[in-house]
Amino acid sequence: MTTPADTQWELYEVFHQKARGEHHVHVGAVHASSPAMALVLAKEQYARRLACVNLWVVRARDITASDYADADMFEHATDKSYREAFGYRVVKKVRGIEARGEHEAES
Amino acid sequence: MEDTTALKTLLFQLADDELIIGHRDAEWTGHGPILEADIAFSSMAQDELGHAQVYYGLLHDLGETEPDRLAFLRAAADFRCAHLVELPNGDWAFSSVRQFLYDAAETVRLAALAGSSFAPLAQAARKFAGEEKYHLLHGRTWMQQLGQAGGESRVRLQAALDQAYPYALGLFEPTDAEAALAARGLKPPEAELQGHWEALTRPVLAEAGLTPPKAAPVYGGRRGQHTPHLAALLADMQLVFRSDPEASW
Amino acid sequence: MYGTTTFTHVTDPLAGEDPAKLAEFEARIGRGEKIEPQDWMPREYRRQLIRMIEQHAHSEIMGALPEGKWIPHAPGFRRKLALVAKVQDEVGHAQLLYRAAETLGKSREQMIDDLLSGKSKYSNVFNYPTPTWADTAVIAWLIDAGAIINQNTNAQGSYGPYCRALKRICYEESFHLKYGYDSVVTLAAGTARQRAMLQDALNRWWRPIMHFHGPPDKVSAHTEILMRWKVKIKSNDAMRQEFLDQYVPKIWALGLSVPDPALRKDPATGLWEYSDPDWDEFKRVINGDGPCNRERLAVRRLAHEDGAWVRAALSRPA
Repeated sequence: MTTPADTQWELYEVFHQKARGEHHVHVGAVHASSPAMALVLAKEQYARRLACVNLWVVRARDITASDYADADMFEHATDKSYREAFGYRVVKKVRGIEARGEHEAES
Repeated sequence: MEDTTALKTLLFQLADDELIIGHRDAEWTGHGPILEADIAFSSMAQDELGHAQVYYGLLHDLGETEPDRLAFLRAAADFRCAHLVELPNGDWAFSSVRQFLYDAAETVRLAALAGSSFAPLAQAARKFAGEEKYHLLHGRTWMQQLGQAGGESRVRLQAALDQAYPYALGLFEPTDAEAALAARGLKPPEAELQGHWEALTRPVLAEAGLTPPKAAPVYGGRRGQHTPHLAALLADMQLVFRSDPEASW
Repeated sequence: MYGTTTFTHVTDPLAGEDPAKLAEFEARIGRGEKIEPQDWMPREYRRQLIRMIEQHAHSEIMGALPEGKWIPHAPGFRRKLALVAKVQDEVGHAQLLYRAAETLGKSREQMIDDLLSGKSKYSNVFNYPTPTWADTAVIAWLIDAGAIINQNTNAQGSYGPYCRALKRICYEESFHLKYGYDSVVTLAAGTARQRAMLQDALNRWWRPIMHFHGPPDKVSAHTEILMRWKVKIKSNDAMRQEFLDQYVPKIWALGLSVPDPALRKDPATGLWEYSDPDWDEFKRVINGDGPCNRERLAVRRLAHEDGAWVRAALSRPA
């Protein structure tokens, strides 16, 4: 896609942090002539109503993105529950041990 | 009861400056050179109008009429704003330069008023400091960008500075209340504020490749003597309100 | 709607499209998933969306003028502040919408050029004059109400960036609507002169309001495709009915009259009947021949030209 001469300035993506401790979240983009200008302009376009303690602006052309066509790379082909907490059923085994212990105590 | 004349003089200056420049800034809404810039200027307009409303509120607490009536019913001769804020917006260069010079003065003024012996004013000054910080950042960023771009941009900026600077000096016009305000710890002398302002603005102007003109200050605004622009502005601003000042709008 | 969705000059919108890709694309939409900028999409989908989003963006920018005209005159601090904030939001919405349209491959520069040259359309309502303060109140309430109905509808569409922009726009519009309603109610509850000014404004704005959602849709295979692609969600008439149903009772509750003697809700069908709005006038206005088209485009053009040196100066690499 060719872009004709654009005096609307370069594109910067804007990330906004609601409060200390939170992630910066992507909220949109501004056209600006420099990073400093992008920050000044983003404050009003993206933070005049939202609570905000910190703002990032990043040149859109510096962002490297994966391809939607490769979304299948993110899917799991096999069961990967071995690396999830829910993949471990311990309670049943503990009950088994407790039951054996009672049985031994009774005999 | 202590004589509040000096204090009220000060409050009217503060309020009128903010109201009129807020009005001017708001005239840019929808007409800016680039969408994002338009949006930023509108925010500054709202900040200033909001500050004006607070200052008029302090006057109301001191016995003057309500803020709406103070802003929307007084005639030009009763206003105590400096000429700088009355001037029409001109081009983006003029508005940017005027705004920067004004916001630098506000920054200096608010810092001084944060220590005012009149507690409500000190409180307001401290509260406004955050918004003013953004205005100054906005102003410095634009001055730098427009100045360093050189060419037509630098030419326009210098022309704007040449025009605005004498009026900016008018922001520091001393009044008869000077001595009383300083003596009572309400506000330091204007000469002192002007010194801080020059120290604040010079490096920014230099970085933008601009030279302030050698010029005499334009005074009169603090005494109720105004340019014809103010009466024209008030005719616009007060149009609907004056059509029925007792009505609810 | 904000302009016109053109169904006219494309004979076969699906001509030459890869059937496998098309099927996958339509299946994704059918599942309720959003299309993102990098996805494959039919040419016609891209074309219609650019047109739709662009016209919406232009409408926001042009809409700033009839209301912005009254910022200098706004009566009192609260109204002045609110009107600045409202028009600021509209410029902000334009920014968000141009951004969304840009993701489809048209530059903001080109879109603005097309607006200023008269090539692109925008909502007809912003070509009418606002001679009194009451006009701004009527617009802020009823035009924004119409816009909200459009926006809530379009937020269910298939294109990710447009939906994201609309989410934020809908949130800000809720303030516009409340502000507008408050302004109207204040005038309605006010002096005889204020009430008269309000009724007069409503009389003048009723026809543009009835035009706002666009002419009745021509039912065609093309419309069907756009519905399947969730580019068009509801018919213009359906949205107009929603508007009338929500707002006419509120208008009447204020003691105001609507200048259409035929306006009534049929209790049997639940649908509103109204005099046929003059669709010839709509066509004339949207094609450039309204009372304020030339004047307002001239204002925008001037603002754009006056700002050219600013944009040019800062386009040079740092």
